[in-house]
Amino acid sequence: MRCAESVRVQAHVDGELDAISSLNIEQHMRQCGECGDLHQALVRTRAILKQRLGNERASPSLRTRVLASLDKEDASPSAMSTGKARRSWRDPAFWWGSLAGAAAAAAAAAVAVVIVSLPMANPTVDAVLAAHVQSLASAHLIEVVSTDRHTVKPWFAGRVEVSPVVADFGSRGYALIGGRVDVLMHQRAAVTVYRHGAHVINVFCWRAPAGPLPRDVTRVGYHLVFWKVGDLAYAAASDTGWDELVGLERLLRAQAQAEAGPPDVSKRE
Amino acid sequence: MVLPHLDAAVRLARWLCLSRADADDVVQEAILRAYRGFDGLVARDAKSWLLVIVRNCHRSELASRRRRPTEPLPEDENAQDALFARAAGPEEQAASADEWRALAAVLMTLPEDHREVLVLKEIEDMSYREIAAVLGIPIGTVMSRLARARTGLASQWTAAEGSSRAVR
Repeated sequence: MRCAESVRVQAHVDGELDAISSLNIEQHMRQCGECGDLHQALVRTRAILKQRLGNERASPSLRTRVLASLDKEDASPSAMSTGKARRSWRDPAFWWGSLAGAAAAAAAAAVAVVIVSLPMANPTVDAVLAAHVQSLASAHLIEVVSTDRHTVKPWFAGRVEVSPVVADFGSRGYALIGGRVDVLMHQRAAVTVYRHGAHVINVFCWRAPAGPLPRDVTRVGYHLVFWKVGDLAYAAASDTGWDELVGLERLLRAQAQAEAGPPDVSKRE
Repeated sequence: MVLPHLDAAVRLARWLCLSRADADDVVQEAILRAYRGFDGLVARDAKSWLLVIVRNCHRSELASRRRRPTEPLPEDENAQDALFARAAGPEEQAASADEWRALAAVLMTLPEDHREVLVLKEIEDMSYREIAAVLGIPIGTVMSRLARARTGLASQWTAAEGSSRAVR
């Protein structure tokens, strides 16, 4: 397996080549016996693996166990955040109790970690931060590349259940460069991506939760701002300065208002 | 939201743990963690995300096991059958069981990082990009690791087939 094309043969089998490269490699495989054999071997191995393992399923007993544990979880959703639990780790009896057995200690420690970290680690903040950092680290920053809001906005339709405000503020320094879909707080969020100078700003939009959004924070060097417009929640994340980030928030809020039509129609009538 | 991917989680976990019971434990833990929203959201879609958590659970399970007295790994011949017994549907029973047995035996001897990349690609049919996200490695590494895993699988499989034929 030393032919230089063997990597492309593999990529071809994996469906990772574009049409033209695929045609090229198919032609090559007809001429190169080594690559032809490789191709056959890959296809055969996959067929066997898929046939034998592809229909492996979770056993009914596991399915039952998982569902039961989720039900239990639902039954006591606030166990972690009640005042009682919060007090318990300060209580000396808690520590004596936890020393009673290694298993109990481990479990209690886990609970203590959760309680201690809860006020600081807001899941929404974590989710937005993780999605922002992830988008910068991967080739996934943008799924629809466009500076035209009439391309980006319709692209979200059918991909996410929300329709965010999308506008190109290029003239004011915030150039629209595209959009993508992220999973955030267990739901699909529409992400519009702006460029401000050398900085990327991700603007996330999802269906607003019932409770309040987190406060604006700075975490590991990234600023996160949150705001609500109607029943949509927005978050913008970037390593720009605060003022620049808040500037975009202001523009987007104004745009949302403008798109909603004259706000005082009902009053005028 | 992650429940539709329970089967995928089980398939990956079985190959990571090489034991049905351990795999089920890992999957249950992973679903719980996903449900609680722990572990942050590190992958783009629910399936990748769940698989990431499955890997994390497997890691922490291994780590905690190292601190406990080690349990012997299943080494008897039946372990393999126990792991894959249900895999063959009626229509596949005609397909060569020996061929499969040899391949499964080789798979189980591969290093863990090779097994997982093979499962994600060949069974779950994920793209390089998705695999890269699950494993937290660059796409180039996915390609090279996949190539090495396949080479290892193919060469050992050929060797195994050769020796089994020689025995007969």
